[in-house]
Amino acid sequence: MHNLGTVFRFEVIRTLKKKSFWIMAIVFPIAIGAIYGIVYFSNESSKQAAESTVNQKFSFVVTDKSGLINKNILKHLGAMEVNDKQTAISDVVSGKLDAYFYYPSNFATDKVEIYAKDTGLFDNNRYQGVANAILQGSVIPAVNSQVTAVLKNAVGFNSVLYKNGIQYDGFKGLIAPGIFLAMFYILIAVFGNQMLASTTEEKENRVIEIILTTIKARTLIIGKILSLLVLALIQVVVIMTPIIIVYIFFHNQLSLPNLDLSNIPIDPIRIVIGAILFVLSFLMFTGLLVAIGAAVPTVKEASGFFGIVMLFLFGPLYAASLFVSSPDSGLVRFLSFFPLTAPIPLMLRNAVGNLSIADVFIGITIIGVSAVITLAFAIRIFQYGALEYTNRISLKTIFKKR
Amino acid sequence: MNGNNAKQKIAVSIDHFRMDFGKKTVIKDLSFDVYKGEVFGFLGSNGSGKTTTIRALLGIYQPTDGKLLIDGKPFSVASGIKLGYLPEERGFYKKETVIDVMIYFGRLKGLTKDEAKTSAEAYLNRVKLIDKANVKIDKLSGGQQQKIQLGITIMDNPELLILDEPTKGFDPVNRRLLMDIIEEHQRAGVTVIFVTHQMEEVERLCDRIVLLKDGVARAYGTVSDVKKKFGDASLDDIFIKIYGDENEQSEEVL
Repeated sequence: MHNLGTVFRFEVIRTLKKKSFWIMAIVFPIAIGAIYGIVYFSNESSKQAAESTVNQKFSFVVTDKSGLINKNILKHLGAMEVNDKQTAISDVVSGKLDAYFYYPSNFATDKVEIYAKDTGLFDNNRYQGVANAILQGSVIPAVNSQVTAVLKNAVGFNSVLYKNGIQYDGFKGLIAPGIFLAMFYILIAVFGNQMLASTTEEKENRVIEIILTTIKARTLIIGKILSLLVLALIQVVVIMTPIIIVYIFFHNQLSLPNLDLSNIPIDPIRIVIGAILFVLSFLMFTGLLVAIGAAVPTVKEASGFFGIVMLFLFGPLYAASLFVSSPDSGLVRFLSFFPLTAPIPLMLRNAVGNLSIADVFIGITIIGVSAVITLAFAIRIFQYGALEYTNRISLKTIFKKR
Repeated sequence: MNGNNAKQKIAVSIDHFRMDFGKKTVIKDLSFDVYKGEVFGFLGSNGSGKTTTIRALLGIYQPTDGKLLIDGKPFSVASGIKLGYLPEERGFYKKETVIDVMIYFGRLKGLTKDEAKTSAEAYLNRVKLIDKANVKIDKLSGGQQQKIQLGITIMDNPELLILDEPTKGFDPVNRRLLMDIIEEHQRAGVTVIFVTHQMEEVERLCDRIVLLKDGVARAYGTVSDVKKKFGDASLDDIFIKIYGDENEQSEEVL
């Protein structure tokens, strides 16, 4: 293994010299910023457009069977009250009126009926906006302000929680161990393709024979994986730094949630478990991606398998709420202990604090053993399938007794 | 097969080697020895199994049967043998610079960084490529890349050089340069196994040869012994005599 350092340095330095590495690192936060910006401005524009449509003038009449509508509001808006529903509807149909609102006698059982001239998908919202504004403007002033707050779901809650006799913030508590989950997600999502391509390069460049007669396949593979781990961590730092800077200095301007990150609870045991799960999961998935890369002749062909691996890995995220609410359910336990799906459920459950000691032990054992098997498998495939320049290596070839 | 050099030390021993790929037998039964310090020509037509034999000797392929030994033991990178191997399939990290790749392989072969750099620069000077030291390999011509590959092969002063068709793609000037380098190593006592189709190279460099056909050795011994066996014909004529029917069959098929 004396060449491990040489392989490691060579792989790290040459990757850091690649433009694609830095482009990826820079593009990722920019893309996130751009998506956030688009969503933010889209929401703002929609909100402003909605407000302006409500304020648009249009002619309408009203029938009030509930008796709750304030006549002064109708007068202020220039709306007449009518009793003949059919005539009002006919006037809308013929174009004499822009709109007609029919307020039923019982809002609990019947809907407010709106008949109006079509003004386009977005502008049509103004009718409902005005009808609702008239109703709220008529009812809310008549009700006690505290009751109004309750009815409008505007009551705030302030929880003070205690754990082991000390005040504890559950949300802040998951930040420290949850960092490993976030790092794992970003690393695999951003760096997965590079892992996949790390051994196909030797095949595509036909450098394999010199390599196999100069160093052990195991040394090369382990050197590559360690370099990938370090490169991935560098990339996380490069990606996260501008995001953190933007958050610290511009979170008010960008209406980002105000997170008070002081006094984050530090649970050393959960942090250590998170770190172990992160490293073992990373090794397992890197080994798997390296094995796929070594088994097929080109990067392009390897990419086809990448999607399948990602499906197993990130599929459990769709059941994230289940991991929090029902940690003892059969599905959660299956996903937590099936090697290909285990990393995210285990890291998530560790972050929220519902991973029992037994589950920690079983989970770490399963992922650890899987990582060792996967890495051994990757080395064997690389060693004995590397000269398959044009064909996929067969399982028979891999397991042939030597 | 040849007992005339029984006192000489054996560097490479291939004993009843057989190699099957599925149902296809590439090597039926091949045995020969290579003595320390000699240049040994490994000859055969395309597809005769020369590269397969070299790969099996170096542990890249697992033989179906037989023993392939270097210094009396199967080769592994941990066996301590200073090997210089120039494979038929030439390959590089093409997006890296010449000097970085040479230093990398020098380090893998056990040189320090300074030793590898000094050795690489000396070689680049010799082959007049020192001005390309910081150029990416994919910017070099095929012939220049060949020279770099040869430089990597001989970087750590190997005890055993295995050159699989080393002159393939070389122009006459570079072929002469390569021959000179091989001769220098020969004078320094390096054992050289030389796979080639070029009979003039064999005549110039090789002490002994083996000619491989249909998975067996058809001729084996010193160059003069082999010539005598075929009525003092030239090596070209011997090659045509042994492999000519193969070409005729190919032409008939075509």
